[in-house]
Amino acid sequence: MTIALEPQRPQRRWWRREGVQGYLYISPWLLGFLMFGVAPLIAAFMTSLSKANVFRTIRFVGTDNYEKILTNDPVFATIAGNMLIYVIGSTVISIGLGLILALLLHKDFRGNHVFRTLIYVPSLLVGIATAYLFKQVFRGGEVGLANMFLSLFGTDPVNWLGDSDKPWLALVALILVNVWFAGGTMLIFLAGLKGIPASYFEAARVDGAGPWQMFRKVTLPLLSPVIVFNTVMALIGHIQVFETPLAFANSGGVATGNPLGYENSLGTFVTYLYVKGFVYQDMGYASALAFIMFAATLLLTGLVLWLARRFTAYGDADQN
Amino acid sequence: MHDVLERPAPTTPVPPAARSAARRRNGRARWELTARITALSLFCLLLLFPFVWLVSQSLKDTNQYFAVPFEWIPSPFRWENFTDVIFKYEFLHYIGNSLWLAVYAVVVNILSSSFVAYGFSRFRFPGRNALFMVVLATMMLPGQVMTISLYRFYRDIGWIDTFYPLLVPKLFGAAFEIFLFRQFFLSLPREIDEAARIDGCGTLRTWWHIILPQSKPVIIVVAVFTFLGSWRELFGPLIYLTGEENRTLPLGLLYFTSPFGSSLPMLMAAIVISLIPPVVLYALGQKYIDKGVAIAEIK
Repeated sequence: MTIALEPQRPQRRWWRREGVQGYLYISPWLLGFLMFGVAPLIAAFMTSLSKANVFRTIRFVGTDNYEKILTNDPVFATIAGNMLIYVIGSTVISIGLGLILALLLHKDFRGNHVFRTLIYVPSLLVGIATAYLFKQVFRGGEVGLANMFLSLFGTDPVNWLGDSDKPWLALVALILVNVWFAGGTMLIFLAGLKGIPASYFEAARVDGAGPWQMFRKVTLPLLSPVIVFNTVMALIGHIQVFETPLAFANSGGVATGNPLGYENSLGTFVTYLYVKGFVYQDMGYASALAFIMFAATLLLTGLVLWLARRFTAYGDADQN
Repeated sequence: MHDVLERPAPTTPVPPAARSAARRRNGRARWELTARITALSLFCLLLLFPFVWLVSQSLKDTNQYFAVPFEWIPSPFRWENFTDVIFKYEFLHYIGNSLWLAVYAVVVNILSSSFVAYGFSRFRFPGRNALFMVVLATMMLPGQVMTISLYRFYRDIGWIDTFYPLLVPKLFGAAFEIFLFRQFFLSLPREIDEAARIDGCGTLRTWWHIILPQSKPVIIVVAVFTFLGSWRELFGPLIYLTGEENRTLPLGLLYFTSPFGSSLPMLMAAIVISLIPPVVLYALGQKYIDKGVAIAEIK
């Protein structure tokens, strides 16, 4: 009888293997993703195809909810219009103003740091607190700060949030609030500008480029990835706007008691979803709304990326 | 688009006549700088006005609040607005709720997100890059899509009007923070990890004793952003916390107008109180945040 001697291999236990360890470390996220991401997403999709009555018996209704929202819901039609104006207006402010401020700050001078901080800090404060602040700023009559400012130019007080003849004024106020929160995009643009080597600007200057040419031919093309990134992030953020319209529509300034504002003029996707799902408890309808909002987000993001590619191609053709 | 840039700079000596051109350019530069600073000053003034107005209004009584013409300096200062809001309007309670939720979020998020990011940055495993793309993609998903079915789930297991729906998901890491940590970990030299491994240090201890102590800048950035995110969160608490007892500061603000409709100076005082912690936090972590935003958003 011989004893078979196994060669002593440096046997590593299975859980010591690199791949297994990697999965162990990311397992919290993976688990959370399945429980709080995938599962509720699937459940929400099923819900969006169903309708629950008062006894909470759920009935499968196919695409009824979607059809009703898109073809037979005047409130949603108003809100979709609001959102189109709001998202475009706010994104133009976030990107345009953010870029202008970043260009102004992209130079070393004393006090640069102070300006940057002053402009950036308000964007950290966005939320229900600033929403209520701006509700008071855009208050009708002579008390509101916005009207005080206008009176310097001899303009009569504007009833921003409660004008029954011009309900769109509330939407304008909602868009203007974004002027105060352009600091976030400004900071990212500034980082992008710092990433452009100074020698490029120097070379263009030596070649006799003026400030406008410099911006058009050097800054803009080299900054375009950052612009695209900022635009997409701004779009996503603005589509999900919630606190400010809710606060603006809330009782106080306007005596409607409608969370969507006077004649739904302040309704946004998320406030409507909140009203439908959590005030009226129509979960099927609210889920369908959520998916339509998601589809709108993807559509707009796709549009921006497509435009960005076209714009870049146009820029190249321009050179030839 | 680079053809303008690739031409070498001319290196001819500067003729004396060019000196006046240089002086002219200098004058233009000074004019340009003045224009820059003027524009920025005007804009900052515009930005600051609502906040100065806010502080002024928060120190008035209702009559002074509505006085026309407007008085920038309240007379007398009503400091008791602040103590009234805190003690008589239950804001001490709301602040307490918001504060412990935010501190919990900061601690748990730093631990869970850095743990997951360590896995993504230091181990090779099949599907790693695809899974990381999924992490990034989840940032694009509107949270409200999931909230509806999560709400029903929490309702069925009796979690409505408890803090669990806000506490439990944080245990599993957050996409943006995982991303921040991973970017930072990738920039740390691996040699130290290797040395620790050879000395017999397990991967868990490497994460805790080697990686995390080197990560102070990103930890500060994640802490500030997580705190701010939790401090101002409205949608989740609004849906999950139905009772008055569990109200957070944003909920306290949201419902402020309903019981005390006319006390606007108090509301302004409450707003001031809720804006102080974010400003203080930013001031403390500013050095890291400015850099952190750049790391996070550009790559």
